[in-house]
Parts: sequence; structure tokens; C-alpha cells
Amino acid sequence: MDRDEIFRVLRAFEAAGLEYVLIGAAAMGFHGLVRATEDLDLIIRATPENVERLRAALREAYDGDPQTEAITSADLLGDYPAVRYYPPTGDLYIDVLTRLGDAARFETVDAETKEIDGARVRVATPAALYRLKKGTVRAIDRQDAAALRERFSLQDDD
Amino acid sequence: MTDTRVEKYRSIDDMNSAPARSAPPSDFERFLRHCARYWAVAPRTYPRGVFRFRTIEDAQRAKPGRTDSTS
Repeated sequence: MDRDEIFRVLRAFEAAGLEYVLIGAAAMGFHGLVRATEDLDLIIRATPENVERLRAALREAYDGDPQTEAITSADLLGDYPAVRYYPPTGDLYIDVLTRLGDAARFETVDAETKEIDGARVRVATPAALYRLKKGTVRAIDRQDAAALRERFSLQDDD
Repeated sequence: MTDTRVEKYRSIDDMNSAPARSAPPSDFERFLRHCARYWAVAPRTYPRGVFRFRTIEDAQRAKPGRTDSTS
């Protein structure tokens, strides 16, 4: 995962006005819980305008990659709320969600703005990450939830 | 005191309980460095393009070279 690429993507999100929240390992990293990952995970607001902002941001970040046209609001607002984009750089991939299970969507994930190297990034709060991860079946998510609970003294009703 | 590069402890417990001193890059920069090391040790080749999934579980099952070690 290339640092410059990550910042290019995050700055493109900001420049496009994308309404998103970073979740997953990158969000954990913002909160000081560091583990390796190969992807960026984000929840975006589920509107056609916002999906267009996402496409615009990825086009900007990846030299107009025509593959970004396959990211559509018909999918993300319809039967495919999870879309994975593999950029041409090949160094990472980006998972975009409009809803996660029955409950979690952009509007329900508490977030805060972090500033890093001139980029403003919307990041899920530790409590929001904990809520997303604590009920899932994957071992890595359970480990993340335990780490969040310990680091931030979270309770099960957080 | 702050310039010394050698720290001495009477026990391994004392050593383990002492925080490692380091220049403080941001947490996110630490995360990026950690990922860069991971990538150097275990490089991957990804496909190109856009893939869509009906659920996050489907997406997680489709992670390339999926293990439970990263996400």
C-alpha cells in the first residue's frame, strides 16, 4: 500500500465533496490501532449524486481510469451495496459500501474529521467501529473489536 | 536523560512495562508504514476493475488470497 497513493485518494475524496466514512483497518490506524491491510473500506452516502462524486474522485486519483464507470448508483443503491474497485496501480483495492447488514449505513455511522498531511478525512469513531465489528463472525473483526474495547474502554452498549 | 539511547532495567517486567520511546509520527503514518512493510514481505498481484457484491459477507469471501490476517 503506497503512502502517496493513499493520500492522493483521500485528497480526491475531499476535493470531490464525497460524503463518506472510512471504516476498517485504515480507520483503526487513525485511532492508533495499527495492523496491516490491503484495502480501504468506506461507507458512502447512498445517493446518485454521491456515487458520481465517488466516480469523479477515483477518476481524478487514477488518471481517468475508465474502469471507474462500472461503479454505478444502480448497483450501489440497488442489489449490490458492496463494490470493490481494483485500481490500475495494483497496490491496493477499495471496498465501497452503501449499507452494511440491516442497520449500518452512512447516516448511522458516527464519524469525526481527522487531518493528516493537509488532507481532511472522515473516520468512523472508535465506538462506531466497535459497533460495526463486535457482532461479526470473522476472527479479525472480533480481534479488532476487542482491541477497540480495551483501548477506548468501550462497553457493550457503546 | 532524553538523549540517551540506552535504557537499563532490573527485570524483564520493568522493561516490558516501559513505553518504547520513539519520534511520534501520527498514528495513521505508523499504519501506512506498517502496511508498506507488509506489502514488501507479502506482495500481491490484484486483478483490475470493479466487482460488485450483494452483501459484505460475499465481498469478504471474495477477498484476493483471503486469510483472516488482513482486511
